[in-house]
Amino acid sequence: MRELGSRRKAWALGWAVLAFLYAPLIVMAVFSFNDSEFTSLPFKGFTWRWYSMLLDDDRLLQSVWNSVYVALGVVALSSLFGLPAAIALDRYEFPGKAWFARVVMLPIVLPGVITGVALLLFYMALHFKLSLYTIMLGQGTALMCVTITEVAARLRRMGRSSEEAARTLGANEWEVLVRVTLPGVMPALLGAMLIAFSISFDEIAVTYLLTGRQNTLPMMLWSILRRQATPEVNAVSTLVVVASILLICVGTWLSRRGSGEPIVAPG
Amino acid sequence: MRHRAPVGGRAVSAAAQTPRQERRQLLIWLVPPLLWFTVFMVIPYCLLFYYSLGSTEYMTFKPGFSPANLIRVFRTEPYLSVLLKSARIGALTALGATVLGYPVAFCLAFHTRTPRAKFLIYLLVIVPWWAAYLVKAYAWKTILGTNGLLNALLLKLHLIHEPLTLFLYNQFSVVLTLIYIFTPFAILSIYAQLERIPTSIVEAASNLGATTFETLTRIIIPLSLPGVLAGGIITFALATGDFIAPALLGGPNAIMISNVVINLLGVAFDWPMAASIGIVVIGVGTALISVAHYLEHRSQARF
Repeated sequence: MRELGSRRKAWALGWAVLAFLYAPLIVMAVFSFNDSEFTSLPFKGFTWRWYSMLLDDDRLLQSVWNSVYVALGVVALSSLFGLPAAIALDRYEFPGKAWFARVVMLPIVLPGVITGVALLLFYMALHFKLSLYTIMLGQGTALMCVTITEVAARLRRMGRSSEEAARTLGANEWEVLVRVTLPGVMPALLGAMLIAFSISFDEIAVTYLLTGRQNTLPMMLWSILRRQATPEVNAVSTLVVVASILLICVGTWLSRRGSGEPIVAPG
Repeated sequence: MRHRAPVGGRAVSAAAQTPRQERRQLLIWLVPPLLWFTVFMVIPYCLLFYYSLGSTEYMTFKPGFSPANLIRVFRTEPYLSVLLKSARIGALTALGATVLGYPVAFCLAFHTRTPRAKFLIYLLVIVPWWAAYLVKAYAWKTILGTNGLLNALLLKLHLIHEPLTLFLYNQFSVVLTLIYIFTPFAILSIYAQLERIPTSIVEAASNLGATTFETLTRIIIPLSLPGVLAGGIITFALATGDFIAPALLGGPNAIMISNVVINLLGVAFDWPMAASIGIVVIGVGTALISVAHYLEHRSQARF
């Protein structure tokens, strides 16, 4: 029997922690419907006002599209370069492999600000103009490790037997790749794409340093929050949370369908 | 686990392709990402190092080869003390998130019966993890502030007579917010480790007469340590480098290292100093990755 100790006591603690995790989110959602300029008690009645204000705020809406644009670019970059890196790391041996694996993981543990400063120096040396594309390159590099770890883990679980079987049956390397390896890693790749998308959508530290004149949504929220916070912020936040719930459901469903294992986003 | 495949795998694939073919394929996979990381990571980090050796004159960068700035990180206030304070806040965050995360991970691994229930609880944990960072920090601001919910509640219960200011704009609010943000991550990494503990070990312990408490402290917790530490290290690193929580919820006492770097760039234009701090942090980060790698491999060899 796997159950250990009192089920009731364990769950009492567990639910208490989950309540702690949800209280602030619920507070935020509730105040997005409060008919008052301030995010504080008392609750003055229900309103859709903040949501309709949101729809009229062109700069805010533009920043949402900028964020989507950047996130899509990041997903494309991190898949395009992360997939080959994962294949190289899992399927082959080469000198300096351990170091390569470590350098790739470095952006996870480094503060985004440091990565941002390093890239900013690089762009300045090349006289790059800061824009959405410089953000894209920066985030893409930092988030490539997500794709690499997810896909490499999947490759490791898959083993090589199907690929070898295909080869023995006369498939060439291209056929093995397109008809065996790629379909096999697809769930992990899709999962990684969703993780990269959501992290990019929420990224501030790297973006803060690399942003040009166009802002992403988090940068926009950041500047609003630093000046004055209206319940409009709550409204847009609630919408972002709802959207991320949808993304999570799709992502988890995709990755579970493939591997039976949950996805864990490392930061 | 990881190195199991080459033994059998090599022999078969070697029959199918020559070493030269294999090398060519390796290059096809390896060269593009290698180039990418060289251009967008290694070169920028080298530039960072180059800048850290220079100096500033009249707010412009002057190249040089002096370790003066790197020494200043350790010798001149406030850099070292801010670095240590950030590390302390990071450590408190990792500790708090682990303590809060463990019960949920435990319930998920040992007290959830059906896969369906497991999936639902899992979703419940992941949603706050993926909710926008700024939103979470801001939510705490509305709870802890002078006009916040906590004060309103305490006033209503007549526990206090006027709003307290001690909840917000200090290290407490920063640590609390960071713990809140990283608890879901701690749950996920501890759960991943607990799930690997075979049921037979738990059964064996109880058959041999161990009490629940003994099984927990002598079997479950020791076996979960690698996952706890690996997750803790990442939490520590991310929390130490955070700049949003201190900027939004921290007062003058809760400035952290990333805020210092941003001030050096934006206010003081002291690029070499900012770069030097970056180099020191990269050194610490590399060491942390090595420790995390080591722990992960040790834990994989376990069962």
